[in-house]
Amino acid sequence: MNYSGILVMARPQNFPNVSTALSAIDGVEVFQQEPETGRIVVVLEAENIKTETDMLQAIKALPGVAAAEMVYHYFEDDQEVITHIPEELDKLQGMGAVPAVLQEN
Amino acid sequence: MHLSRREFLKSAVAASTASTMGMSLSELAEAAASELEKGWKWDKAVCRFCGTGCGIMCATKDGRIVATKGDPKAPVNKGLNCIKGYFNGKILYGQDRLTQPLMRMTDGKFDKKGKFVPVTWEQAFDEMEKQFRKTYAEKGPSGVACFGSGQWTIHEGYAMNKLFKAGFRSNNIDPNARNCMASAVAAFYSVFGADEPAGNYDDIEYTDTMILWGANMAEMHPILWSRISDRRLSNKNVRIVNLSTYRNMSSDLADLEILFKPNTDLAIQNYIAREIIARDAVNKDFVEKHCVFATGPYDIGYGMRNTDKFAYPAEKDTQAKELKVKLDKYEAVAQRKAEGEVVDQKNTADPAKHWMISFDDFKKAVEPYTLDFVAELAKGDEDESLASFKGKLQQLADFYIEKDRKVVSFWTMGFNQHQRGTWVNEQCYMNHLLLGKQSQPGNGAFSLTGQPSACGTAREVGTFCHRLPADTLIPNPKHRANAEGKWKLPAKTINPKIGSFYAKILRDLEDGQVKWAWVQVNNPWHTHPNANHWLKAARENDNFIIVSEAYPGVSAKIADLILPTAMIFEKWGAFGNAERRTQQWRQQVPPPGQARADVWQTIEFSKRFKVKDFWGEQKLPGLKADGYEDNKLPSVMDEAVKMGYSPEDSLYKVLFATPDNLKVKWPDAVAKGHDNHVAALLGDGWFPEKALWQEYVQFGRGKGKDLADFDIYHGDNIRGMKWPVVDGKEVAWRFNEQYDPYVKKGAGFEFYGDLFKAIPTGNLDGITDPKPVPLAGKAKIFYRPYAAPAEQPDTNYDLWLCTGRVLEHWHSGTMTRRVPELHRAVPAAVMWIHPADAKSRGLQRNDLVWIESRRGKVKVRVETGGRNKMVKGYVYVPFFDEGVLINRVTLDTTCPISKESDYKKCAVKVYKA
Repeated sequence: MNYSGILVMARPQNFPNVSTALSAIDGVEVFQQEPETGRIVVVLEAENIKTETDMLQAIKALPGVAAAEMVYHYFEDDQEVITHIPEELDKLQGMGAVPAVLQEN
Repeated sequence: MHLSRREFLKSAVAASTASTMGMSLSELAEAAASELEKGWKWDKAVCRFCGTGCGIMCATKDGRIVATKGDPKAPVNKGLNCIKGYFNGKILYGQDRLTQPLMRMTDGKFDKKGKFVPVTWEQAFDEMEKQFRKTYAEKGPSGVACFGSGQWTIHEGYAMNKLFKAGFRSNNIDPNARNCMASAVAAFYSVFGADEPAGNYDDIEYTDTMILWGANMAEMHPILWSRISDRRLSNKNVRIVNLSTYRNMSSDLADLEILFKPNTDLAIQNYIAREIIARDAVNKDFVEKHCVFATGPYDIGYGMRNTDKFAYPAEKDTQAKELKVKLDKYEAVAQRKAEGEVVDQKNTADPAKHWMISFDDFKKAVEPYTLDFVAELAKGDEDESLASFKGKLQQLADFYIEKDRKVVSFWTMGFNQHQRGTWVNEQCYMNHLLLGKQSQPGNGAFSLTGQPSACGTAREVGTFCHRLPADTLIPNPKHRANAEGKWKLPAKTINPKIGSFYAKILRDLEDGQVKWAWVQVNNPWHTHPNANHWLKAARENDNFIIVSEAYPGVSAKIADLILPTAMIFEKWGAFGNAERRTQQWRQQVPPPGQARADVWQTIEFSKRFKVKDFWGEQKLPGLKADGYEDNKLPSVMDEAVKMGYSPEDSLYKVLFATPDNLKVKWPDAVAKGHDNHVAALLGDGWFPEKALWQEYVQFGRGKGKDLADFDIYHGDNIRGMKWPVVDGKEVAWRFNEQYDPYVKKGAGFEFYGDLFKAIPTGNLDGITDPKPVPLAGKAKIFYRPYAAPAEQPDTNYDLWLCTGRVLEHWHSGTMTRRVPELHRAVPAAVMWIHPADAKSRGLQRNDLVWIESRRGKVKVRVETGGRNKMVKGYVYVPFFDEGVLINRVTLDTTCPISKESDYKKCAVKVYKA
């Protein structure tokens, strides 16, 4: 499971709608709101980073959202993505194969 | 209170996020946040991607990167990270990462028609050297070339610049930054006499008005956009204007959106200038003390080849505009000539020349740019009424002119990649200078950059074919002598002839003038317009192309030799961003396999050559310069021997491992336990990055370009420093006495840049007195006219095509397309088109179509919705996707002054595939 902290910005008059819309997205939890500065902190919870990026795009597309950017991403447990060099790459470290794409015309 | 692991993680993440943003926290949340990160080793670093220059924190554990986050101490991004920045740690781990040298071979020998085969570094350098010597013997210094980069670290750019200019005596080195901000540079030179912006990103928090000219910042500079959003949302007097040729994401927050036709930004700027004068709003005190008026020739062509010898039959009508231009009715008014007049383009060879004019001439020149004239010419959306458009132009002028309203104008590629890019940059300064709204907190014209070190490396190090470090120029004998002195070279070692600029190197490969080219950290065959010419030349002509790359992109595919390159956190490095902020980082992890840093590749290659290979007499066709015999570079060997050099000395020893540099020892305490694979591989016990840095900074000190010592940047509490760094202090706003110690006491403002500061006098028709008048300390307010685009839609090619980036991908996508998440977000480039234009062609969303110009065609899918909303008659295709190589279609016109390509306008047709 991945968790990331997102800063969402919206005009104060849009806060109620934006906040409701954010909470309606599965896996999004609104943690902190500062209407006077237009800032909302939400945490995304997702099975994988693909879902997370899709969710961020969905947040950016919400009506009334002026900006939404990642601040913090926790992926220590995400072995597959970040702490692992693919086997194919390990094989290349010696005198191995040439990427197929290079042999195309 | 008991928290489950899941609740704990979520509150820890929320707390870290809020604390990074300076929001208040509960004690419990704070404790959760610190518990989460136990055992990680954090170090500061810089984002690999755009020119914003965000600070990121990089966590390693057991020699691997385990996490990255926005750096809360970084003044640029204050803890935020855009979607690209977030993947900094992951680009190192793509599946097709290149980890060994690959050469085209048949039967164990190099063969241009062969397949790629893994070789050792030794074999790779053997063949490079052999091919280099062959070409150098045949063609001399002008037969070899380097495509450099605004993504080079400062050390990498400095090393290659020195190898080419001091070692090979060749000025054929030019960065991809040529296609990114050369127009900005040309205008900085002509207006201020010195490169790079006066202001900094804090202008966002000081200003009342932000005007975006051809900069879709919401998508391209998301972190700056978040600061802009913050400013707009927290202050009800702040206004944002988005000027563009189509509706983009930045319009969502904008208070005013102005959609104009390609190139008519030139006319809109003159309309504003005319309004400033008509409303008696010229800041007379500022203008009289600190400015003069200037103009230059209009008949400067479009930067194409001046012959149709290499043009496809279909291209010839566009190419002919390089020689003759028939004025349309708007150009005729704008240039005070007759409609239909055919103007010979007589000033293509010296388009940058300019002369002083009077204020009365300037006033006369902008007089035709009335609201009626400009609105009719510029209105970009046929569905908008003329009255509405006029109202918007007036509102724009109001924002600029309103007394006490602070204004910042931002721009990037919309201005820079423009057939009149230098002019339109100059025009932006024109209006800020007329109003005196320049070089003050919250007031100024601010040129943004696209690449992480376009400023730091390409511009400050001077890795262009006409530049030397710290704003010095190849054609200037004093500047060459200065570099020769700093580099301890014999006099006249440096070649006085400007080399080939980026587009010209590609043309040189096509016509056989260049036969050996090395590419580092860029992808010319993917990213340069009119690509079919260059792809064919690379594969079918007799030449040898070396591409240093981390991933196999288009340029690697057409190469003869691929060198595997270490990526950002696998080496020590430094970048300089768009607000003059220089930032450095340490090697965090080792490079995989045989991959090695570009700076190692460059320095290691220098070990193969001796000074006698280059410092004897060399042929140089076309050289004509004072103090030189025509067509040859003199031998400097006698002088070199007098200086104590031997003809047998290696370039490595003379240029890099010099006695001074060998005193800078590796290991060094500044490393704090981090490794340096470059130092380890080169041997000799020196610290190459630090030694080169300390050598490089000598160029700018005392010249308004002062950089601090290497160790300062690595200090725990430093998050980069904005140059000039004087007495340990940064300069926030240049040319302003309050902030900049280089400004004379009592002057208030002083535009002290010293380039092009003595010019002739004349009027709108030309020079009347050629005697140069000195203009020390002053900025120039240029009059530049409207000029129509070289190629416009007609009955056959009936649509405008614009290209550029999308948020999720970086340039040609060789890195970001390796991160599966990013790839999936925007899997293949699409063509955005107005629904009515799609319907009239019988097309629906997702249909596969051909998009075709006079130069080539590619297949792409139709998109009628989504983030970009086209006006009728206009399509947009991003260039990241090598499966949709849109540069086969684009036109290779350039701004004739800056030589930067225009990717934003050519004519195409679209039909079902």
